[in-house]
Amino acid sequence: MIVEVLFNEVCGLSGDSQNAEFLQAAMPEAEFVYTTLLEDPRFVHEDVDMLLMGSMEEGIQRRVLEKLRSHKARLLELIDRGVPFLATGNAGEIFLKDIHYITEGIQVSGLGFFDLQVKTDLFNRYNAKVLGTLDGIEIVGYRSQFSFWYGDNSQNYFLKCDRGEGIHKGSKLEGVRRNNLICTQILGPILPLNPLFCEYFLRLAGVDAPAPFRDAAMEAYALRLKEFKDPKMLFNV
Amino acid sequence: MKKLRFFLAMAAGKLSMFLMKLLGRNATYLPGKIAIKLCPDFLGQLTPPKTVIAITGTNGKTTTSNLLAAILRENGYRVTNNSLGSNIQAGVATTLLADATFTGKPTRDIAVLEVDERSSLRIYPQLKPDYLVCNNLMRDSIRRNAHTSFIRYIMDQAIPADTKLILNADDLIAAGLAPQNSHRVYFGLDVEKPEKLVIPAVRDLVYCPNCGGELVPEYIRYNHIGRFRCKDCGLASPAPDYLVTQLDREAQTFTLRHHNQEDRFQLLNDNIVNIYNFCGICALLFEMGLSSEQVAKGFAGIAIIKSRYDHVEAGDLKVTIQSAKGQNPIACSQAFRYVAQCPGSNKAVFMLIAEHIGETDTNSESVSWLYDADYFYLADPSIRQVIICGPRCLDQKLRAMLAGVPEENIVLWPDLQGKADLVDTENCKDIYILCDVYLEKEAEAVKNGLLEKAREGVAQ
Repeated sequence: MIVEVLFNEVCGLSGDSQNAEFLQAAMPEAEFVYTTLLEDPRFVHEDVDMLLMGSMEEGIQRRVLEKLRSHKARLLELIDRGVPFLATGNAGEIFLKDIHYITEGIQVSGLGFFDLQVKTDLFNRYNAKVLGTLDGIEIVGYRSQFSFWYGDNSQNYFLKCDRGEGIHKGSKLEGVRRNNLICTQILGPILPLNPLFCEYFLRLAGVDAPAPFRDAAMEAYALRLKEFKDPKMLFNV
Repeated sequence: MKKLRFFLAMAAGKLSMFLMKLLGRNATYLPGKIAIKLCPDFLGQLTPPKTVIAITGTNGKTTTSNLLAAILRENGYRVTNNSLGSNIQAGVATTLLADATFTGKPTRDIAVLEVDERSSLRIYPQLKPDYLVCNNLMRDSIRRNAHTSFIRYIMDQAIPADTKLILNADDLIAAGLAPQNSHRVYFGLDVEKPEKLVIPAVRDLVYCPNCGGELVPEYIRYNHIGRFRCKDCGLASPAPDYLVTQLDREAQTFTLRHHNQEDRFQLLNDNIVNIYNFCGICALLFEMGLSSEQVAKGFAGIAIIKSRYDHVEAGDLKVTIQSAKGQNPIACSQAFRYVAQCPGSNKAVFMLIAEHIGETDTNSESVSWLYDADYFYLADPSIRQVIICGPRCLDQKLRAMLAGVPEENIVLWPDLQGKADLVDTENCKDIYILCDVYLEKEAEAVKNGLLEKAREGVAQ
């Protein structure tokens, strides 16, 4: 089992890198490869079993996009083959059609795996929570972002939101998914916060293992779920 | 010529301050908010004190500005500062209006203002600082600050071209602030350089800010604090004009080299983060024209406020309070590291952090930042007990376990009113209370409870 963590040195604005640590605790035998921006990704030359990429600064996002653009066909091949790929925060935007950086007045085309557009405005910060469902699993998460996604994700969303918003204000469908490529605007340590989703994600790679520190993780998850279901709880703050 | 609405704003601000004080409330924000509401350019209309100093940066603002104000007062200056107040636009306005006449003239010589980085655009265009000290720029609350490039973007636009910048040479992000500004000096440390190069898991600068090339470290202290050179374009950490060259822990002094001379000053605290703060303060004072004697007199007459650092001993217990700002992973990592590196083998860590007061009733705070903080320091064998307080204690427990802290060492208490009884004082004699800036009273209560236990033990 090879897990490739892409550009971890710059793609982990808020605890995203600990998704890899959590998976490593669940799969101590797996090889975790941390590829830097200065290197060729491992997936280019050999098969990997799982890919991870976390949130990043906007300038870095443009650099990552250019880096991955040259490997677009190979990435698509792996995704269509069903390799699990988790992209948190704004990492998933790289796979959308284009990104409009409103503040800088720049528009760049994405890899185009999804027909969605991104609008990024540095002077409009959005902080929110999400409670959504994926195949019967309740998922909780936090979002802190400058961007919203626009377009139709009704056939390929990641979560159906029970509370909180989806890809843009007014949407109830969060993220996008193609096979096992999951792009969510939920930021940071989504796997430790959601042990059931962690187990689901492991199963996508054919690993039937419990989430690490399962009791402690489930206890924290249950409390958060209870808080998120409280009608008094604020979701957009 | 001041506008009529300015006088109205000043009167309303002063009246609200008077009323709040009458009601026993801290008037640190609202009077300024009212004044700005009535007169949006209130800060620009005020006549500033002769010298305006802004202290900014992610970590160390409060400690630096409080110490600086105290040193200046020790030297006879009349100083206004927002030590008790808010560091955003309304807080700065409140501080200045409190120490101004009804016509807006200052009653003090110097303003020492702690300024929130995000508020730069709202403050500096109206109130130009003569000096700006920036200790560091690193990740902070993801919700408010996003990331350091965003903060740099804001600050670069806001800092006036003729403000003198006093910048940390060992922080390439802070050192590069406002590149259009040629009035700049740097400070840094040449002591206790790490012997081994350890690349931290969390860094806010990995590639050259100039060309995106690879930054080669000479050494890294923590996060991106250290000395670097770009392999591609040659950009390097600037040479410090003010350099700490020696620490003498026994004599409690540090030596500063500047202008071809060396001075020794009292060391108020030996945490490396605070030594950067002291160095920045010295640099500013010398740039303002103070003499070595004045600076020495200032350091000799002051102490770090107890809410940021306190140490007491009773019986066989040693109790230390160290501030550790919630939502700020680097500040917490530094506090954890400090505890792990202190001498002793029977420590307990009492954590009163991670909560943002006022949000807990209707909000469940983002805990992402916990996963950027270096909890592995708490797995140090010298730490026998980790007591985690507050509604997010379950999240912290999981984070600590993932970082290697043994579950049996962890004690949970879901209330922020911690109890001294939670500490196993039979086995733990060095107790470190790591507290959020909003939880000073709670930390003090735990400290007093522990001292009481120690005295009871001695009496028995």
